[in-house]
Amino acid sequence: MTKGVQIAIGAAAIALLLGWYGMGQLNEGISFQYFQNLDEFSSSAPEMVGRTARVHGYVAAESIERDLEGRQVRFSVQNDPPHARGPVGETLTVVYGSLETPDLFKDGAEVVVEGQLVMAGGHPVFEATNVMAKCPSKFKAKAGLMAESGVEL
Amino acid sequence: MADIGLYALRLGLLVCFVGIAAGLYAGLQERPEWTRVAERSLLLVFAATSVAMAALFWALATNDFSLTYVAAHSARTMPLHYRLGALWGGQAGSLLLWGWMLTAYGTVAVLGNRHQNRKLMPWVCVAMLVNIGFFLLLTNFESVPFERMPHDQRLSDGNGLNPLLQHPVMLIHPVMLYTGFTGFALPFSFAFAALVTGELGTTWFRTTRRWTLFAWSVLSVGIMLGGRWAYEVLGWGGYWAWDPVENASLMPWIAGTAYIHSVMIQEKRDMLRTWNIVLIGLTYGLCLFGTFLTRSGIVQSVHAFANSDSFGRIFASYVILVLAAYTVALLWRLPKLRSPNKLESVLSREASFIINNWIFMAILFVVFVGTLFPVFTEALSGARRILGPPYFNTFAGLLALLLLVLTGVGPLIAWRKASLTSLRRQFTIPAIVGSLVALVVIALFGFSPGYWAIACWGLAGFVLTTIAQEYTQAVRSRMRRLGESVGTALLTLLSRNQRRYGGYIVHAGFVILMLGISGAAFNEEKIINIRPGDFASIRDFRLEYLTANAIPAQHYGGARARVALFKNDQPLAVMTPEKRMYWLEQQPSSIPSIYSSWREDLYVILTALEPDGSATLKIYHNPLVNFGWAGGTIFVIGCLIVLWPHPEKLLAQTAPAAPRTGEAGA
Repeated sequence: MTKGVQIAIGAAAIALLLGWYGMGQLNEGISFQYFQNLDEFSSSAPEMVGRTARVHGYVAAESIERDLEGRQVRFSVQNDPPHARGPVGETLTVVYGSLETPDLFKDGAEVVVEGQLVMAGGHPVFEATNVMAKCPSKFKAKAGLMAESGVEL
Repeated sequence: MADIGLYALRLGLLVCFVGIAAGLYAGLQERPEWTRVAERSLLLVFAATSVAMAALFWALATNDFSLTYVAAHSARTMPLHYRLGALWGGQAGSLLLWGWMLTAYGTVAVLGNRHQNRKLMPWVCVAMLVNIGFFLLLTNFESVPFERMPHDQRLSDGNGLNPLLQHPVMLIHPVMLYTGFTGFALPFSFAFAALVTGELGTTWFRTTRRWTLFAWSVLSVGIMLGGRWAYEVLGWGGYWAWDPVENASLMPWIAGTAYIHSVMIQEKRDMLRTWNIVLIGLTYGLCLFGTFLTRSGIVQSVHAFANSDSFGRIFASYVILVLAAYTVALLWRLPKLRSPNKLESVLSREASFIINNWIFMAILFVVFVGTLFPVFTEALSGARRILGPPYFNTFAGLLALLLLVLTGVGPLIAWRKASLTSLRRQFTIPAIVGSLVALVVIALFGFSPGYWAIACWGLAGFVLTTIAQEYTQAVRSRMRRLGESVGTALLTLLSRNQRRYGGYIVHAGFVILMLGISGAAFNEEKIINIRPGDFASIRDFRLEYLTANAIPAQHYGGARARVALFKNDQPLAVMTPEKRMYWLEQQPSSIPSIYSSWREDLYVILTALEPDGSATLKIYHNPLVNFGWAGGTIFVIGCLIVLWPHPEKLLAQTAPAAPRTGEAGA
């Protein structure tokens, strides 16, 4: 057995050990599904109850309510930008358990909400743990403006 | 002026083709006089792209809004330095910058090798010119910085630069990343030339060693500055989020770091020949891939990039073409790449460097999989799944701890085969110190910081002790043998053996940076809604919300909150987080206010001024953040020591006949 093989076996053992340990550290919410739009999410909504997901949509016009007492923000998300033509379609009620909304969060903003769908009084409500907003950009080439934004490379 | 830029780009592309043809002819037919043609073409392309760069700078400086690029990325109200910085604020400009930097490195290669490596040079020119040619094609036809707006759509003012990018760090951060990325093209081209010509000794990487280290250092600083910018501008209280854009810059750095370590093994022991060739290919490939990743939109980053399908396709084809050519050359030369030397012991410096490389590869794998996870899962199951930061932190964090161990062991352990006595002599004290540090941390905080932070501190103690031990031993021995003073001995060490002792400083910087990261284990955050005159507290800090005023109107307006900060009831500072509105861009932005000491940062963001007169503030208490920046600074100092031109060695380089003195590089 060459030294190289010895090292390889040792490394494989360490890698397995690390992998096993790491997997143990990772909990349910570590990997979650991303939905490009609300329609997609709504169609698979029944099975999504209680599971973490990210959903992309637009804040419905005049739907934002900041509840300072309850320290939460309620708003609705719809599939298409509010200024788009045609019917609005289904909306999803989102409750965000924090007052910390991103800078670009406002009527019509493009948002990605992260959290879980729950049934509250027979209605589906999305309990968001994270709300990220994008620029309703008049420029085509701009860095997105979410919490963990960066710059064009 | 703009037209001059456009013609310069056209000319550059043409000369580029001439140079490639000349280089191929010179290389294939062994016609050295044609090598000169290829080299001069490279210099000419450098001149041409420099003119184009100057033209774009001029257009930005003089507000030439007839150019689409200037109109889209600059505005009259922006101060001059940000107008100039807009050159890399958008796609067309940054591609031009990228191409120009490649030509600059090419020029360096040509000027430095007028009398050496003559066999390699035609292929170096070809490889550099192909890369340059691609960027010239893009800037000539696909993403043209000098494109004119149609006459009826001309604007009197531009759109302005994204306000988030209007920050001093953003003037240099992208430039540094590009300097790093493009710098790896140089060793890549030499490796390619070595493969084609079969000159597979140590020349190809010795010649480029300095510039590779330079590129790597600048890339490191660029990444750290990116973190600094995120911390000061983005207002989410952290500096690294494992966003695809960040990962795109980190991946080439990981591969490049593995490379600069493993070439040392080839340099000293002539092992790992194939691996080094593979590694530099991987590094440069990842530089290109990162750019492709962030621009093609295949990964749904939080960034909406300027992406077009055609651009993604063109770029992907280019990356595949470059890597395919390289791989073919590599496979062809595989039989010749066998190293004469074999690994003799697992307890040796060679082995520790090989393990170091594997850990780097493992980290690279973790980051790569995590970044592309949505793409993989969509291809496999149709549903996009995302891996969050805990995945990266857990796996990359664990591997980073292993890396810390090797940071201490690798540079000290003997070549070939280490004896147990030497191991005991070298590592007993550091191991004791490391254990003590870990025990002290546990005694002070219990197990609340978590295993990672505790291990990180213990290992940091271990590594820093090994470094201190190396310095004291060497300085003492000089003082004893030569009767030098401490200062002289230290200076001579650093100048005589800059690679080794500078390398230790780089390592020390890395360790201290890791300590800064470990501070995150103690992070605390709070969101509060507060009325003027009320107090809020976090740890032993107390904040009083005083008032909010309007910001004097400029190209942005908004509100500035005034918050008094106390620690243990001692007044410390008045913090002024701002909520800005950039008029022209119609974009709001929250600027945090940071109170920073060596122990901890207090970071306040004005989330909202509520209609009832209260303010919603987000407060972060981030311990040890300044260790991170301090570690980064020490890292840079180490890099400078390693890179500092050494008069005696420069002389040795110009006289290639002189025998090389063996450097005991770490």
